[in-house]
Amino acid sequence: MKKINVLGLITFIIIILVNLPFLVIIPSSFTAAGYLAFPPEGFSWKWYSMILDRPEFIDSFWTSIKLATLSAILATVLGTLAAFALSKYKFRGSGFINALMLSPLTVPSLIIGISALLFFTRIGIAGTFTGLLLAHILISIPYVVRLVLTGLSSFDYTLEKAGYMLGAHPFRVFWDITLPLVRPAIASGMIFSFLTSFDNVTVSLFLVAPDTTTLPLAIFSYMQETLDPLVASISSVVILLSLVFIILLEKVYGLERLFGLNSQSH
Amino acid sequence: MSRRLSVTLLTAPALIVLLGVFVIPMLLMLLLSFQDAQQAFSLENYALFFQDTFYLEILWRTIRVSLWTVLATLLLGYPVAMFMAQATGKMRGIVTMCILAPHLISVVIRNFGWVVVLGEKGWINETLIALGMIETPLRLLYNELGVVIGLTDSFIAYMVLALATSLYSIDPSLNKAASILGASRARTFFSVTLPLSLPGIVAGTTLVFSLSMSAFVTPALMGGTSVKVIPVLAYEQIMSTLNWPLGAALAFLLLGSTIVLVSLYTKLIENKRYKEVFAS
Repeated sequence: MKKINVLGLITFIIIILVNLPFLVIIPSSFTAAGYLAFPPEGFSWKWYSMILDRPEFIDSFWTSIKLATLSAILATVLGTLAAFALSKYKFRGSGFINALMLSPLTVPSLIIGISALLFFTRIGIAGTFTGLLLAHILISIPYVVRLVLTGLSSFDYTLEKAGYMLGAHPFRVFWDITLPLVRPAIASGMIFSFLTSFDNVTVSLFLVAPDTTTLPLAIFSYMQETLDPLVASISSVVILLSLVFIILLEKVYGLERLFGLNSQSH
Repeated sequence: MSRRLSVTLLTAPALIVLLGVFVIPMLLMLLLSFQDAQQAFSLENYALFFQDTFYLEILWRTIRVSLWTVLATLLLGYPVAMFMAQATGKMRGIVTMCILAPHLISVVIRNFGWVVVLGEKGWINETLIALGMIETPLRLLYNELGVVIGLTDSFIAYMVLALATSLYSIDPSLNKAASILGASRARTFFSVTLPLSLPGIVAGTTLVFSLSMSAFVTPALMGGTSVKVIPVLAYEQIMSTLNWPLGAALAFLLLGSTIVLVSLYTKLIENKRYKEVFAS
């Protein structure tokens, strides 16, 4: 019993430490002072209203939202279709295609970013929203494929057969039988893709032009020049928004399951 | 619809993205890394790396920072994973959530939080000065220590996940057996738990090492100009100096050295285990 308490105490401290950035950022965003301070001095909303005077943050916020939404939807559609093929049909080369679908995960983002820049420059879409979107779809596909494959691994395909035998149209079978059973996996794939895109810096870094900058990149650039409470207030907005999606993810699928931790092990 | 057609139609869209945004660009990048200024085939970008100690020093710094990060995440992550393995039901869920959730929030923001804590006028320094424990602020940021702190925060979740996965699979009755046979808690830990969690340790350390080697954001934000690592150097070559072939070569050299080091490490561990098994 005593051992659990020691481990519990260490765990508690480490939980505080990994959450310390947020515990510090949110209070310091309400400071009344003109400089960054923790603990904050006084209370004021002024750093929040100041965000509205900075078009680079507003514009990049909308770019990020648009980018994350579109790339999440498209990566989910593409990844889900591929996962269905990989799970349902055993065909020659399916192992290779599976490995290929997951391979962007094994290559550092830095290399993905640089190689996309080199190629996109050749074909003339470097610095465009399209290029950025394509790269974000790429980095999200592996997560969707992996999650949907896991969701389908326990799917009984005789259910589909039964549907066909009863005369249902293939689309109807998919919509009414297959899809509902893997909906949590697909939904969590989509939310996770949204967060992956919304947080990404290292790939975007190489692909943005001044008018397509994403929010994390805008914060990144701003931070390298100035450190003021404005970074804290804009960060707090992002933290809050991310938190909504994290809670959604926990409710829809569960973080333990998402990260492959089997909670029923013993 | 034939099977073949279904497979093609279902996988084609994702494969097109993978080919067009990943496979072809990577091949192009590899090709470019072997080009000189006249666009002729050349090994000079790679040769430069080994001739100039400037690059080797930066590589060594990248490796050093990554090794410290591995050590820190292992030492801090192990107790957490052990606690998770021993905890039941709700408690385990809460701890998992508290460790994993921050990981889903942008690294730029987490690094910013650490800057507020560790900076010259940060929380720690202000507190220590106010308490009269130090007179001049400690340098906790814009050096290797700062980068290691930032990377540890970024990657500890991966370490905990890898360790927890292997700790969960240890049969708890083994611990009971050891204690019935009279082993102390420490003895049980070192003779039962630790050896059985070795696969998790290998997986976690390998993953954190690879991620730290190629990390860009944290060294840029928490290392400043004084802690230049290979990813930052590659970025500068690509975006500022516009020497794309050299930048591409640097990125591949980084990937190559990571792969070599990781495979040496896993070989070493396998050999050691092999000997242990057959020596006893």
